[in-house]
Amino acid sequence: MVMVTKVPARPRSGRPRRAARLLLAAGLTTASLTALPAATATAAPAAAAEDGKSGGTTLTVAVSQSIDSLSPFLAQKLTSTSIHRLAYEYLTNYDPKDARTVPAFATEWSSSADKLTWTYRIREDSTWSDGKPATAEDAAWTFNKMMTDPNAATANGSFTANFAEVTAPDARTLVIRLKKPQATMTALDVPIVPKHVWEKVGDFSKFNNDRQFPIVGNGPFVITDFKVDQYIKLKPNKTFWRGAPKFDELVFKYYKDGDAAVAALQKGEVSFVPNLTPAQAAALKTQKDIKVNDAPGRRFYALATNPGARAKDGRTFGNGHPALLDPAVRKALFLAVDRATLVDKVFQGHAVEGEGYLPPRFGSYFWKPEGAQRRGYDPAAAAKTLDDAGYRKNGDGKRLGKDGRPLNFRILCHATDPNDKAVGKYLQEWWGELGIGLTVECLDSVSDPWVKGDYDLAFDGWSVNPDPDYVLSIHTCGTLPATPKDTGATDNFICDEEFDSLYARQAVEYDTAKRADLVKRMQSRLYDTGYMNVMAYPNALEAYRTDRIASITTMPEAAGNLWGQDGYWSWWSAVPAASAAGSGDGSGSSAAGVAIGVGAAVVVVAGGLLLLRTRRRATADDRE
Amino acid sequence: MTTASTPADVARAEKAPATDGAPRTGVGTGYLRHAAGKLGGALVSLFAVLVTSFFLFRILPGDPVKAMTHGIPTSAEQLATLRRQFGLDLPLWQQFADYCAKALGGDLGTSFQFRAPVGELIAAKLPATLLLTGVAVVLYSALGLWLGTRSAWRHGGRGDRLNTGLALTLWSVPSFWLGLLLIIVFSVGVGPVPGLFPTGGMESGTGETGFAYVLDVAHHLVLPVVTLVAVGYAQTLLVMRSSLLDEMGGDYLTTARAKGLKDDEVRRRHAVPNALLPTVTMVFINLGHVAAGSILVETVFSWPGLGGLFYQALSVPDLPLVQGLFVVFAGAMILMNLIADLLYPLLDPRVGR
Amino acid sequence: MTSLAWERRRGSAARFWRTYRTHRAGLYGLAGLALIALLALTAPWTVGADVQSVTNAPGTALESPSTEFPLGTDQFGRSLLGLLIWGARISLLVGLLAAVLSVAIGTLVGVLAGHYGGWPSTVVMRITDWFLVMPTLVLAIVLATVLSRSMWTVVLAIGITSWPTTARLVRAQTIAVESRPYIERATALGGGHRHVMARHVLPNVMPLVLAQTTLGISTAILTEATLAFLGLGDPTVVSWGGMLQDAREAGAVSSGHWWYLAPPGIAIALVALAFTLCGRAVESVLNPRLGVGR
Repeated sequence: MVMVTKVPARPRSGRPRRAARLLLAAGLTTASLTALPAATATAAPAAAAEDGKSGGTTLTVAVSQSIDSLSPFLAQKLTSTSIHRLAYEYLTNYDPKDARTVPAFATEWSSSADKLTWTYRIREDSTWSDGKPATAEDAAWTFNKMMTDPNAATANGSFTANFAEVTAPDARTLVIRLKKPQATMTALDVPIVPKHVWEKVGDFSKFNNDRQFPIVGNGPFVITDFKVDQYIKLKPNKTFWRGAPKFDELVFKYYKDGDAAVAALQKGEVSFVPNLTPAQAAALKTQKDIKVNDAPGRRFYALATNPGARAKDGRTFGNGHPALLDPAVRKALFLAVDRATLVDKVFQGHAVEGEGYLPPRFGSYFWKPEGAQRRGYDPAAAAKTLDDAGYRKNGDGKRLGKDGRPLNFRILCHATDPNDKAVGKYLQEWWGELGIGLTVECLDSVSDPWVKGDYDLAFDGWSVNPDPDYVLSIHTCGTLPATPKDTGATDNFICDEEFDSLYARQAVEYDTAKRADLVKRMQSRLYDTGYMNVMAYPNALEAYRTDRIASITTMPEAAGNLWGQDGYWSWWSAVPAASAAGSGDGSGSSAAGVAIGVGAAVVVVAGGLLLLRTRRRATADDRE
Repeated sequence: MTTASTPADVARAEKAPATDGAPRTGVGTGYLRHAAGKLGGALVSLFAVLVTSFFLFRILPGDPVKAMTHGIPTSAEQLATLRRQFGLDLPLWQQFADYCAKALGGDLGTSFQFRAPVGELIAAKLPATLLLTGVAVVLYSALGLWLGTRSAWRHGGRGDRLNTGLALTLWSVPSFWLGLLLIIVFSVGVGPVPGLFPTGGMESGTGETGFAYVLDVAHHLVLPVVTLVAVGYAQTLLVMRSSLLDEMGGDYLTTARAKGLKDDEVRRRHAVPNALLPTVTMVFINLGHVAAGSILVETVFSWPGLGGLFYQALSVPDLPLVQGLFVVFAGAMILMNLIADLLYPLLDPRVGR
Repeated sequence: MTSLAWERRRGSAARFWRTYRTHRAGLYGLAGLALIALLALTAPWTVGADVQSVTNAPGTALESPSTEFPLGTDQFGRSLLGLLIWGARISLLVGLLAAVLSVAIGTLVGVLAGHYGGWPSTVVMRITDWFLVMPTLVLAIVLATVLSRSMWTVVLAIGITSWPTTARLVRAQTIAVESRPYIERATALGGGHRHVMARHVLPNVMPLVLAQTTLGISTAILTEATLAFLGLGDPTVVSWGGMLQDAREAGAVSSGHWWYLAPPGIAIALVALAFTLCGRAVESVLNPRLGVGR
C-alpha cells in the first residue's frame, strides 16, 4: 500500500512535534487571551515576518469542497478532478478559446475506416516530475489497469467500458481498439499516471495517493503537500512542455463558509474565490483591487417531472403523481413559470434564461425553441390549458384532478442549494394562482427518493462538458435501471424512442458538423416531450485580486470562467502582479495591528488599574 | 457546551451540580464499590452506544453510493463496484456482525467518501477540535470561576447584577451568529477597526515552523475561542456563584470571621475551595462535550475539526464515518462523566474517607 | 371540598406572584415576553401573511434600511422588519411546542419511574442516563436529517433529545413527595396508583414542571435557530433561525448587509434571555435556597 519512489520526499515534521506545538499554541492562547490585545500585538508582526520570508509569489485559491481522494482512479469531486488536471496530462485538452479538442499528451490522433481503432501519437517532450520520460506505455498501462481492475475503474470507468484492447507498440504510439464506435474518443478525460510509480500500488480501492509528496506527475503543477480540509499546495513543473506556470506556488485553501472566503479575499488572505452569491458579487464589485468575473456557466438548471419511473424490464415503480403523465398538466405548469423573473430575482441577473437543453456557452451544440414550439410565460394560457383538459377549479379555487381530488404536487429540492429553495417559493405562488398546491421537500441528499421514483417534480441540473455525450445519454432508455431494484444512470426516467435513435446516430458520427446537427435535433425532441423545463443557465460568479494576479486566461477566452475549467488554463496562465511578491498589504495591516494592539493594551492596563483601585476601596468598605 | 447546553442547563446545573447524584457514602471499600459500579455503568453505556450507532444511522435515508456519485457520470457497473467496496451488498445482519467484530478490535471501518480508515480520519482531526474546545473550556471555566466568586461575594450589588446579566445575555446569543459578527468586525474590519484576525482555518499554511507556527495557530485560535468563551462562561459563573452563596450561609464562615480572619482570607481559605466542588465536576462534564460541542463554531470559522467532519459525513451519508464520530462524541461524554463521578467523592471534604 | 381546594390554589398563586414580583430580572423577562407575544399574536393584522410573498415583494433586493423598510429588505425584496415579526410566530411556536413535548415526556417518565420504583424504574432511569450522555445536538441533527424538513420535525428532534434532565428532576421530586405521610394515608384509604399520581404527585411536581418548561423554551428556541442555520429547518416557513440561514446563504455577512444578519440574532437572544430570566425567577420563588435572584 505504501508507494515507494526514488523521489527525495520533502521532510515533513513528525506528529509528536506537531502535537507538542499545538499544545504550546493552546498554552499560548490561554495565556494571551487573558491579555487579548497583547496577543494581537505579538501575533501580527510574526505573521508579517512570515510573509516576508517566503518571498516568492503565491496564488491562493479558496475552495470549500473536500477532496475525496487524490488518486485519479477514485477522485470524483470537482475540486479533486480540477487538481488532477493540473498534476497529470490527459490525452487531449480543450482549447481555451472555443473548447475544441487540442493536443495534450497526444499530439495527433486518427481513427481507422471501421471507426473501431484509434491511434494516438504521444508527445516526446513530456517527462514525469521525477525525471523519467512519459511514454505511450504509461497511457496504455493506465487504461489497461482501469479495464482489468474494477477498483481502478471507480472514477472514470465509463470512458473505458467500451474499450476492447489498449496497446503501446512503441514509446510514442498508443492504439485503442473499441468494441463499437465511440464519439468521445477525443474527449477522454482520464489522467494518465506514471506506470513506474503506480504499478507498485496494491489495492486501488484503498490507495489515496496522499502519503508521499511531491506526487509524481507531468502536468503544469506538482502536488507538494496536502492537509485534509486545510490546504493543497502545488509547485510549478519547471519542465512542463507548454512552459512552466508563472506563480511560484499555487495553494488551494479551505473555507467551509462562503462568507469567510469572501472576507479572506477582501483581506488578501486569498487571491481567488469561486461561487459567489449575487450579493457578494455586488459588494466586491465596488472594491479596489478586486475584479469580479461574471461568466456564462456550463450548467443548466431545470425542473424535471416524473414521467412514471420504470425499469428496462417494463415494470413501473415509485409514487409519481398520475396527473403529471398528462402532457396538458405539464405544459400548464411550465407555462406558469416566469423564467425571466427567476433570472432577475433569484439569480439577480447572473444567469441566462433557460431555453433548450445545453447552455449557449457550447455554441456549436446550442439549440433553442422558436415560434410555436416555444413555451413562454403565459399564466392565462396555462389556466386555459388546464380548463380545456378538464381540470376545473372547485369552490376554494383549488384545481381538481381526474380523481376529483385537489391537485397537490411535491417537488424535491436540494437542502444545500439556496436557489432551489428560492425558486420553490416562486413556484408555490405561481402554481398557487393556477389552483395547484406545491410542497417543497428539501433534503440533504435527494438521491434516495429520486432513484426510487418517489417524487412528482424535482430541481435538476448538470454541469455540461464540451462533449455533450454524457448529459444526453442520461435521457436514453438504455440508462434506465434493469429492474426496479437496480439503479441506472438515468437522470429522470425519460425513455423516448425518437430521442434514442438520434442518440445512437450521434454517438457514432465522427463528423463534427453532422454530429452537432443531430445533437440539436435531440434537444428539440427532448423539449417536445415536455418532461423537462430548463429554467436558467446560471453564471459562474467569481472574483480575484488584481493586485496579486495581473492577468489570467478565462475559458472561453472571451467572457469565460476561471474555476472548474475543462483544462488547466486559468492557473497555468496566471501572471503575478508586480506587487504580489513579498507581502503587499500584510505589513500594512499588521502595522495597524500593532498600533491597535498597543492602544488596546494601554486601555486594558488603565482599566485594570482603575478596577484595582475601586476594588481596594470596596474591600475597605467591607471591612468596616 | 455552548451548542449542546443552553440557558436551561444553567439552572439545571445549579440545581443538581453533583453529576447524577453520586452516592456520598464513600468510605474506603465503599468508594471502591462506588467506583466499580460507575465503571461498569460506563462500559454498559459505551456498548449501548456502539450498538445503537450502527442501527441509528441505518435509518438515514439515502443510498450512500448514489449520493456520492450524484451528478457524476457513473455506470451501473461502477455503482456495483462501489457497493462491493463498501460492503453494502451484504445483508444487514452480516454488516452488523462485521461492524461489531471490527469495532471490538478498535477498527471503525472505512469511510465511504474519503476511502480512508475512520479511525485515522478522526485521529487526524481530533487535535484541532481538542485544541479549540480544550482552550475554550479551560478559559471559560477560569473566567466563570473568577467572576462567579466575585459575584457571590458581593451578591445583590450592582457589580453582581451587571455580571450575571451580561453572562446570561451572552449565554442567550446563538454562538454561530456571534461568530459571524466577530468575523465581520475583527476579521474583515469595520470602519476604523482593521481586520486583526484571520477569517478562518487553523494555520496560514505559508510554511511556518517552530515558534512562528505556534504563534500562527494562536492567532487563528483567538476568534473561535472568544466566541466559545463568551457564549459558555455563564454556566460556570452561575454554578460557582450559587454554590458559593450556599457556602456563605455556612456557620463555619461566621466562625472563621469571628476568629478575626480577613474577608479575603475567609474567601480564599474556606468558602471558595468548598464551593469549587460542583464547578469542577461541571468542568469535567463540559470537557465531555468537547468533541461534539463546537460543530457550529467549527463550521463558521472553517476550523478543521470533528464538527465539520461530522456534518460533512452526515450529508452523504457516509455511514462508517458518522457511526465512528458518534461513538467518539458519546464516548467522550461517558468518559468525562465517569471521571467526574469518580472524582466527586474524592474531592468532597464532607465525605469522610 | 373542591371550592376549598380552589381557594387554596388561588392563595398559593397569589403568594407565588407576590414573591415573583420581588425578582426584578424576572419582571423584565416577563415584560419582554409579553411584548414579543403581543407582536407575534397581532402579526396577521400588523404585517399580514402577505409579507412572506416573493412574487408580490414590494422592494428590490437587499435594500438598506429606509423609512419604507426600517430594517431593509431581503434578497427577494421583502421587508425584513415584517419578516422578523412574522418569524416570531414560528420561532415562539416551535420553542413552545418543543419545550412542552420535552417536558411532557420527561414528566411522564419521571413520575412513572419515581412512583413505581423497583426494576422497571431502574431500567427506565438507565435509558434516561444513556440519553443524557448522548450528544444532544448531534442527535437532534441526525433526527432532523432523517425526517423530512418541516416545523414538526424540528419540534420532534428537540423534544425527543432534551427530556432526560426533566425526567431525573421529576423522578427525584416524585420520590420526595411520595415519602410524605399523607400519601401513605391516601394509599391506606384505597387510593390506586392512578389516584396517587394524578391527585397528589402531579400537582406537587407541577411548579417544577413549569420552571422546566420556561427554561426549556429558551433552549428550544436556540436549538431551533441552530438547526435552521445548519439548513435543517423548513425552508418554506419564515423563522428567525431560517432568516439567519437565508442571510448567510445570500452572502449578507461578507457583503456588509449587517441589517439582515443582526436583527434575527438579537431577537433570538432577547427571547431566549427573557425566558431564562422568567425561568430563573420561577425557580428561585419555588426554591429560595438557590439564591439565583438574590
